[in-house]
Amino acid sequence: MDDLDDDLRRLFNDDRLDVHSEPAAVDAVLSGARRRRRRRTAVTGAVAVVALVGAGVGLTRLDSLRSEDTTGAMLTTSVSSPPPLVPSTSTYVSTVTKTVNAPPPGNGEGPGEPTSNRSSSPPPPEPAPGRYGTLALGMSEAEALETGSLIEPTTPVDADKRCKTYATKSVPDADAVIVSSAKGIVRITMPSYAKTPKNIGAGSAVSEVKAAYANAEQTGSGVTVKMAASPPWFYYFESDGTTVTTVHLRLTGGDCSS
Amino acid sequence: MTAVLQLGTAAERGGERAEAVGDFAEFVRMSMPGLLRYGHALTGNPHDSADLVQAVLEKVGSRWDTVRRKGDDPLAYVRRAMANTHISIWRRRRRESLVADFPDSGAVAPELSRLENEPLWQALRELPPRQRAVIVLRYYENLSEAEIAHALGISCGTVKSQTSKAMASLRTRLGKE
Repeated sequence: MDDLDDDLRRLFNDDRLDVHSEPAAVDAVLSGARRRRRRRTAVTGAVAVVALVGAGVGLTRLDSLRSEDTTGAMLTTSVSSPPPLVPSTSTYVSTVTKTVNAPPPGNGEGPGEPTSNRSSSPPPPEPAPGRYGTLALGMSEAEALETGSLIEPTTPVDADKRCKTYATKSVPDADAVIVSSAKGIVRITMPSYAKTPKNIGAGSAVSEVKAAYANAEQTGSGVTVKMAASPPWFYYFESDGTTVTTVHLRLTGGDCSS
Repeated sequence: MTAVLQLGTAAERGGERAEAVGDFAEFVRMSMPGLLRYGHALTGNPHDSADLVQAVLEKVGSRWDTVRRKGDDPLAYVRRAMANTHISIWRRRRRESLVADFPDSGAVAPELSRLENEPLWQALRELPPRQRAVIVLRYYENLSEAEIAHALGISCGTVKSQTSKAMASLRTRLGKE
């Protein structure tokens, strides 16, 4: 009966499984990895430069929340599965897209006239779509899978079989995205290198979160910032007390734990 | 201010990164043959194997210092990523009915597997990729059910059921039952 076991072991030991590897393959991997890292660094750096220029609110309009996937894309298969509303191209984070484009090459100044850091904030909660890259809060599991941003579910469904978790191409954590069967995506975790349109991300000080978002509320060691959209949602900035460690977008009234 | 700190930190990491890059290059050289072979078992053909290995290594290499800091065995990490990536690519391909645009290393000429005429190899190829991955992890990698569950991020129960379905399909296709 267990011939099959033996046959499988024999097959997988067969020399014919060997694949000839050429030195060019190693070079291709190294240059590909370098390219990916550079791309990621460019985005992070551009966001930092924008921050240095002092542009705040004016530069990062919330409507820039659109497009794309992220650098973390496992395989940059820019096949023809265009996410809705996305101006084709590859993979990059919505939340930073606009800021990335902001500083023209070689120009030390930010685009336009960066307004100085005024402390007056728009009335809370601010309008903003609950979207990160191609994924949006409230999106059904099927729609989310269509985007190609999700990796195979990496943890079993919860006890109630109501919620599923997925890693994404940009966030390898098993629960990067939580999808409820009733409410669709209820939580999206932003990659550690990504920033909100107000340049808040992992590494930002909690005080910066509160300065950037007038309606920020302390919730335990994290900070919650409600956003106006349909469906309504909020940022949850997890922190270690002083510094943001993770940024989640969460659907208000989500029915999954965590 | 945060931005200044970020830039400073990035600069400080420069030296460390150069060392990490050298380390990664060595890792790629050493592990490439084994990974290609493993990819061949997973995907069913050498060309897809080369694409899969390249895509996963590029991703891992771009975050090599993070991977090293986590302290996991990088080879095991890469193998897990390959299994999961292969499964997710297949799902995407099936959904979109088009061929994914893999990076093409040109390292391996498109060719059929040299195992093409083996009935068991043909039967394996007919399995859905997750079932195939479970079989490869069990019989190629000699992993336990718990290790397979961990590698694929699924429950032990799912590993059991997928294994059992896969073995039943293989037996049927081979006319063993």
